[in-house]
Amino acid sequence: MEFGLIYELSTPRPFTRETQKAVYENAIEQVVLAEQLGFTSVWCVEHHFLEEYSHSSCPDMFLTAVARETSTIRVGFGIATCVPAFHHPIRWAEKAAFLDILSGGRVEFGTGRSSTWNELGGFDAIVDDTKKTWDEYIRVIPQMWMNERFGYQGQYHKMPERNVLPKPWQDPHPPMWVAVTAAGTELDAADRGMGALILSISDVERNVPRIAAYRERIKHCNPVGAFVNDKIAIANWMYCHPDNALAKQRGEELVGTFGYMAGQTVEVSEAYPASNYTALGLLGSLRADPTAPGEQKPLSSGLCFGNPVAVTETCKRWEAAGADQLVFMIQAREQLPQADVLESLRLFGREVLPQFSGGTRRPMAVNA
Amino acid sequence: MSAVELLYGQRPGATVGASAAPLNTGARDEITLKEVEIHYALFELPMASVLPRLPESLHPSVPAVLGITVWRCLAGPLGAFSLAYLGVACRTGIKPRHFIHGAFCDRPEVASWLRDRYGLNCQLAKIHSLETYDRIHSRIELNAIPVLDLVTESAIPLVGRGAVVKYSPILNAARLGNDAALVQMETSFDFKRVLRGVPRAEIFDAHALGDATLRPHYPISGTFAVADVRLHPARFRLDASVPAEQGGARKI
Repeated sequence: MEFGLIYELSTPRPFTRETQKAVYENAIEQVVLAEQLGFTSVWCVEHHFLEEYSHSSCPDMFLTAVARETSTIRVGFGIATCVPAFHHPIRWAEKAAFLDILSGGRVEFGTGRSSTWNELGGFDAIVDDTKKTWDEYIRVIPQMWMNERFGYQGQYHKMPERNVLPKPWQDPHPPMWVAVTAAGTELDAADRGMGALILSISDVERNVPRIAAYRERIKHCNPVGAFVNDKIAIANWMYCHPDNALAKQRGEELVGTFGYMAGQTVEVSEAYPASNYTALGLLGSLRADPTAPGEQKPLSSGLCFGNPVAVTETCKRWEAAGADQLVFMIQAREQLPQADVLESLRLFGREVLPQFSGGTRRPMAVNA
Repeated sequence: MSAVELLYGQRPGATVGASAAPLNTGARDEITLKEVEIHYALFELPMASVLPRLPESLHPSVPAVLGITVWRCLAGPLGAFSLAYLGVACRTGIKPRHFIHGAFCDRPEVASWLRDRYGLNCQLAKIHSLETYDRIHSRIELNAIPVLDLVTESAIPLVGRGAVVKYSPILNAARLGNDAALVQMETSFDFKRVLRGVPRAEIFDAHALGDATLRPHYPISGTFAVADVRLHPARFRLDASVPAEQGGARKI
């Protein structure tokens, strides 16, 4: 079991230059400390126009800054949006390879497609096509990395033979992942031999069948890259404090703030009925009764809030469920003072992390 | 924990529902309207026009969204009628809702039924809505003058699990005893057919439609659905001044 951090870079109002800079600088300071404590990965989302919720429009830049301040922690795109109106696939191949070199081969390449009208509408993207474009991107990007020259004619892009430069430091290429919010996407990941970065704010037990289904299905995959990345990372929350009740109270406030910020966005399913956005998405996991006006879900038992004993127990349950990594959100809109966030990390690093044996599993061999 | 500035509506709660009709909390019957034709269009509009209109207990959606809904019911327990309402997207806590600022109905007894149970305060109007092969067209006329002409074109059928429309429940001002409150119209839908296309408001008299400042700005989606609509009794009242997350939502 390994541990990481994931950043939305949420930002409180009023949006001042100073506040924005502080959010980015605080996050980098947290990652530098996390590496010293034994965390093995940091992930950064890509979002656009999501006021408060995420001011993380350029994950590649954040991860580059982090990479130059650290030496071992892996840097993950969580995610790179595979939608033509946002990015050309060549640009993702270039950026990820560039960062892989600057980081000394530490890139994890997470992919996805966006789920808000804020973003897809803002870029005038073709909403109905995002699953299709994602599939095309994840097939061609590894080819751009591995082939000296590569050309293709796809449904959404075409290119004559070119040498996409630079090539990544990792040989043959960085591990490929997909972000999983809606139930069932973990099976898409498995079929394509990709890691599943599952955002789960629910109980551990609810994820056991999903993890088992992924494990079974990936045995029969057709990998999009040169190897199978059979890993499951659970994106979740963590706040650790000696006072168990205080930790849970603060955790509840963090999740409440996250829900408030996420709630204001306009999910595709709310605004633009489409066959490729039928699931409730992120907000579905936050709501209790969608027709009731006020009540919130009780705090999930899968969240890592509490004193070191309680957090260890929750992490052990995730490990037993089959998760390879837990990647934590540890801040929301700077609600916690930076000193408290750092102290929570130190406590976790001192008392929780040593109880788990790290160690990255070797990639599975490519199916013949 | 640090103090934070949250985004809420700016309209004082005390100004909401001053002239609203009393809610009949004793009406607990449920009815089903078969094969209602629902034309629903969403547009973005400037956030600056929405915040002053939303009660202070509600969060806006970001971006700001205007919803236009037209029902054509050909038969059922309320008889044949047409209904139209307009609202802006908002959030009670984290839940999507539309706060209604204009409503219209072509039958006085149906208007009375809706006002009685949900506080939906309809003006009498002539309402026309029709799906043809090339478009869905809805019109509201007041005193023989069209105040809304809504067209959805380039519609394609949605199939399988995608053949649904997630209508946000609507909030209306009503009086409960001596207090004004926001009441949620409780509906559930069994979809038979759904189309999605591009909406356009060819006539939009914002003043006549309930608020001169709320105008469609950028099209999001237009849908046409045929659905059985179940109307449930009102269950919740929401304070116009106190947010749901601070205890402003109560069961009726």
